[in-house]
Amino acid sequence: MPATFTINVNGQNRTVTVNNPAMPLLWVLRDLLNLTGTKYGCGQNGCGACTVIANNQAIRSCITEIQSVAGQNIITIEGLSPTASHPAQLAWVTFQVPQCGYCQSGQLMSVAASILAGNHGANIAAQVHNICICGTYSRIQQAISTL
Amino acid sequence: MRKSKEASKKEWEEAQHVSRRNFLAIAGSGLTLAFFCPEVTQVAEAAMGGIAGPPAKTQVNTWLNIGSSGQITLTIGSSEMGQGSFSGLAQILAEDLMVEYSTIQTVQGVPATGAPQVGNSIPTYGSTIIRNNYWSMRQAGAAGREMLVQAAMNIVGDQTRANYTVSNGVITYTPTGETISYGLVASAAALLPVPSNPPLIPDSQFRLIGTTVNRVDIPSKVNGSAVFGLDIRLPNMVYAIIQHCPTFGGSLNGVPATPAGMIAVVPTQVVAGTNRGTETTGLVNAVAVVGPNTWDTWQAALNLTINWTIPASSSTLNDQNFINEATAALTSAPAYSPSGPNTAPTLYTVEGNLAATNTAIAGAAKHPTATYTLPYVPHNALEPLSCTVNYVPGVSCDVYVSTQVASSVQALVNQITGLPLSQINVHTTFLGGALGRRIEVDFVSQAIQVAMAVGRPVMLLWPREQNFLRDQFRPLALIQVSAGLDSGGDILGWNYTGVSPSLFTQRGFPVGPTGDSQATEGSSGLPYNFQNRVTQWISHPSPIPIGFWRSVGMSMNTFAVESMIDELAALAGIDPYDYRLNLLTDPRWINVLQTVAALANYSAGPAPGHAFGMAITTYANSIVAEIVDVSLNSGNDYDGQPALFNVNNVWIALDCYLSVNPGQIQAQLTGGMVHGLNAALYGRQSFVNGVPQYPNFYQNRVIRMDEMPQVAVALIPNPQQSNQSVAIGGVGELGVMCLAPALANAYYRISNNRIRTLPFFPNATMGGLNNPHI
Repeated sequence: MPATFTINVNGQNRTVTVNNPAMPLLWVLRDLLNLTGTKYGCGQNGCGACTVIANNQAIRSCITEIQSVAGQNIITIEGLSPTASHPAQLAWVTFQVPQCGYCQSGQLMSVAASILAGNHGANIAAQVHNICICGTYSRIQQAISTL
Repeated sequence: MRKSKEASKKEWEEAQHVSRRNFLAIAGSGLTLAFFCPEVTQVAEAAMGGIAGPPAKTQVNTWLNIGSSGQITLTIGSSEMGQGSFSGLAQILAEDLMVEYSTIQTVQGVPATGAPQVGNSIPTYGSTIIRNNYWSMRQAGAAGREMLVQAAMNIVGDQTRANYTVSNGVITYTPTGETISYGLVASAAALLPVPSNPPLIPDSQFRLIGTTVNRVDIPSKVNGSAVFGLDIRLPNMVYAIIQHCPTFGGSLNGVPATPAGMIAVVPTQVVAGTNRGTETTGLVNAVAVVGPNTWDTWQAALNLTINWTIPASSSTLNDQNFINEATAALTSAPAYSPSGPNTAPTLYTVEGNLAATNTAIAGAAKHPTATYTLPYVPHNALEPLSCTVNYVPGVSCDVYVSTQVASSVQALVNQITGLPLSQINVHTTFLGGALGRRIEVDFVSQAIQVAMAVGRPVMLLWPREQNFLRDQFRPLALIQVSAGLDSGGDILGWNYTGVSPSLFTQRGFPVGPTGDSQATEGSSGLPYNFQNRVTQWISHPSPIPIGFWRSVGMSMNTFAVESMIDELAALAGIDPYDYRLNLLTDPRWINVLQTVAALANYSAGPAPGHAFGMAITTYANSIVAEIVDVSLNSGNDYDGQPALFNVNNVWIALDCYLSVNPGQIQAQLTGGMVHGLNAALYGRQSFVNGVPQYPNFYQNRVIRMDEMPQVAVALIPNPQQSNQSVAIGGVGELGVMCLAPALANAYYRISNNRIRTLPFFPNATMGGLNNPHI
């Protein structure tokens, strides 16, 4: 049954109509709102490529139904900083973290959520469990150590 | 990740044919140098800016343009899959062009044959992009620079080259201090002949080569703007979700009705050239459900009732049966016959003398035999396969895809649609990991079929499960090694026989008397002092589709070779480092081994409770060695399985002749090592009656950040780097192959338990979808 929801994405209220209120936020963002920086990796809460921030918490958007985040404030990689100058983004460039880059939106959003919760350095790293197949973990750790 | 020799030779011949005479014309574009990569010793002819010429053939794949306002653009048809090749090529070019690296804009080439041509693709595999194109880029930069300087000399009126210097794209006439920018003379330079042998910057004066510079693609990869295959959005686009038959070899029995809310259900068949093993040409092995968005379409596909016809032969496609077939083939496979047909299993002699080797082994004081077993291993690139096609019948076909070989995509579109190449545009996106899987174009063929059926732009997606289940896997292998040791530990005989399915045979390429090079690489030509040796390969008959997996046969054979060397060292009672040095005379191997040992402080020995293991090999003109430090872990891992050990450190040494961007090489080696580690610990696909068993990352575990070992890398300079007759070495796959044997060797040293079957943890999982670790 079609249903309409309003969510605040990167500071803007967005209203979407879905055929199925169980549609995960990931696909609302990617297919309905054309915000493709949030990635699909596994669809099972396993890899973290789809991580976004909802009401200041890191969530896996691939298993988060749109109906469960109605009215919430969502931040995606596109909204992390208007000038790509979030401290984590700057550190990622400084330490030349990405290789293929596909996981990095999710890595950065996990880090950003941890920073929002007041964490620094190793305490951030302990909360980041996103998969990186390219093996950029060492550089992620180096970048996080400066945050 | 390489094509057959025949295919590569054909490409090479085509390259030679056109690169010496091809020139292209684009009006008003400043100075354009168009050339073909790889071209080791020749810079191709220049394009004449502003002068129309006849439409040339297509075999130009790289364009350097210096615009009249000074902007510099490098358009190149290689693929960016995380290895930083665009950046590396721009870095090389900037050296001899004498401009700042940051001023070069890199643009993805699009295979096309119309005018203006924007370049064919450069197949991106085999650790080739930097090593094959290094000299081309340098000569292009030097040729462009000298043409620009000549144009400036013509303006100034002094033809004494020594009176001109160049810095950052500005030419200075030193007698007067007059300066002329590249942009000012670019159009005039385009009218000049291309110098045949422009002087290169001496290595001692390098500003850029050998330095760590930032990659050009990274800013877009931290703000969400990088476009991967899955990120394409076209007007009027619809979404298609593939559902393959769960059983390899099965085919569709009746087209399901289109579910409510969906647009179509399109059966897709295996297209000639993409056929592999059980998946024969014409087999309708999948359906694509087409709908308005990814999620709704995916749910419709999952809920669709599809009837499949399963062949009786699928009951033989089981793990144990594959091993039984391999074991039987070791003793019963007939030898290769020049008159054929050499159906699998067939025994090929790769090198050496069987009789002499076996005699030597039989007469030795000790003659151990070990058998190593490797499973089918899936690719696990994080970006699922997808392909977007906009087909206008009789007019054009645009394909947007993260591919390693855009020219293969173009040829496939031509094959399926009949459109001439000039009406087919292949847009290569960033690749969200490739690992060899994106050499294949099976998913592209499906997307084309769907686009032709629905008459709208369509994005075809393989959900994650389809990627793991319908992969073209790294081949399984059973490798038996026998050796004869004298009382001092010298190796009197080395008998190495590998059994594995043939990548070449599945692709219809001929396999000669020495077997499939993709299966035997890493097992022959070893520089160890084996006093007698024989290397054999037996083709395995399994029809499970197989593919090129980052480092291909190297990772399989290096596990067996370097494990066996370690076993022999243990049997001889000699430290495995000393044992290898005793067996080696090649100075590069010795240097790499000594360098990695120094990096690991090997002579001081491991920390209490720790153990070292090592391995060394060669590929792509590079030598690589790794030392792994492990310690025992008596607890359980988060998935409930015994943890057994921790991997604490990995030290890597590489001699690739020349390190263009040391920081990027460090990243590549580390990433390759992690790929090898994931496979050694967890990598496998399992088959029950032709049905692959492990569909998602939950069952195909990979390490997370808290499991990452400490990594240190040493890059070894080689004075041969200045020799144009020596191709520099590759990097992209070099980190992968030593990890598994080094890990197994380290684990043996601390546990006395020799691991000869990979992976270490075949039952590993992510430990529950609500595991707090996730």
